[in-house]
Amino acid sequence: MAEVGKTPLLDELENGPWPSFVKEIKRAAEKNEMSKDLLGQLERSYEEKIGHWKHGGIVGVKGYGGGVIGRYSDLPDEFPALREFHTMRVAAPSGWFYKTDTLRTICDIWERHGSGLTNMHGSTGDIILLGMTTEELQPTYDEFAEQGMDLGGSGSDLRSPSCCVGPARCEHACYDTLDACFDITNEFQDELHRPMWPYKSKIKFAGCANDCVAAQARADISVVGTWRDAIQVDQAAVAEYADGGLNIQKYVVDKCPTGCMAFDAEKKELTIDNPECSRCMHCINVMGKALKIGKERGATIMIGAKSTIVKSAFMSWVLVPFMPMEAPYDEFKELCNEIWDWWDENGKTRERLGETIYRLGMGKFLRDLGIEAVPQMVYKPRSNPYVFWQPEDF
Amino acid sequence: MDKGPADPKVKEAVLAYLDTVEKAKSKEIAKAIDVPKGAVDLAVKELAAEDLVEYLYITTTFVALKGKVAPPE
Repeated sequence: MAEVGKTPLLDELENGPWPSFVKEIKRAAEKNEMSKDLLGQLERSYEEKIGHWKHGGIVGVKGYGGGVIGRYSDLPDEFPALREFHTMRVAAPSGWFYKTDTLRTICDIWERHGSGLTNMHGSTGDIILLGMTTEELQPTYDEFAEQGMDLGGSGSDLRSPSCCVGPARCEHACYDTLDACFDITNEFQDELHRPMWPYKSKIKFAGCANDCVAAQARADISVVGTWRDAIQVDQAAVAEYADGGLNIQKYVVDKCPTGCMAFDAEKKELTIDNPECSRCMHCINVMGKALKIGKERGATIMIGAKSTIVKSAFMSWVLVPFMPMEAPYDEFKELCNEIWDWWDENGKTRERLGETIYRLGMGKFLRDLGIEAVPQMVYKPRSNPYVFWQPEDF
Repeated sequence: MDKGPADPKVKEAVLAYLDTVEKAKSKEIAKAIDVPKGAVDLAVKELAAEDLVEYLYITTTFVALKGKVAPPE
């Protein structure tokens, strides 16, 4: 067991004005042996520069294939409270909006059954509960289920979909990310709880191209809000920005990635060549009072992002430039099923969707799914190596 | 989005195949009976609801006839 006050390396991480996970583990260690041993093992890892966790194994709750990640210490004799230190993922609400009562309930249940340590939230978006024994898994889950909560995804299944705060707090939301995330999570419960694919699959919903949920860099299927008509321009407000000292030419027009804007400094008038606009959101972010997203709203569906695994990290490709995103989201759901069927048929074990597409070619993927290649899929026509002419095209 | 009911012929074929093995992944069943995996998934879901098959989670999801595989120690 770790001796209190014998963690000089970890103690360094309490210095400075920012929050410290060491401080929080020490607080938890005052009433929990697991947290106390965690400090000891972590200090040891810092000394030896070696991680002392083993993970994997078959642990879970009845009826679920995902949601629990088995974790064990490889120093169980020295840190007996870490012999079993499993992680449980609890699905979070859309946009991470909680009532304080709910947060108290979660913490109360967790302090009764586990280490009391939480990670709010993990990168997938779930509530991560760190540190529990195998024996406590089922009773913990049962208590969460009684409170109307459910486990999130883990392993080779659909990970819990997540979304930005969307229309709840943001005027840029091009569709209701909160509703889409909730609806689609409920639709794909089988896929979420039963790992049966080559590897994990993530869906993330961003209300606009600012992408506050970082979908384009992380999700196998990204749903990024956009519009297909014109940016709404209030020329009086443009003039106000100019009068207020904003250098519109320098900070807006010259920063436009497609060069689709022009500013007449004399007339204080901004013009936009909307067909050339890539909906990047930069001008709207700078001049929020003068420019607003268009009125015909929906989303761009992108695919294939991931972190480094078999291949290096990938950003998303555009698959569908514009899709209306309105309940019941049938078009999107149908597309997901087709994408997953293709990946399931063609993917190798531990190969993410983007890696399968990279290996077999975007052309094959598009042809197999019956999706026509369109200019929005490529940054510069004729310079993209993924889309080729087929013999039958000649 | 309603995927509709499973094809009764696929359900029969799934049961017949599972009778010949201890357990199998949906993908393996689909290959063995030569139907799309989506059709097998749908059939297995219904068969599980009818208590004829069960899911086994052993790092990935296997399917077996109900009671055929003993629970782990």
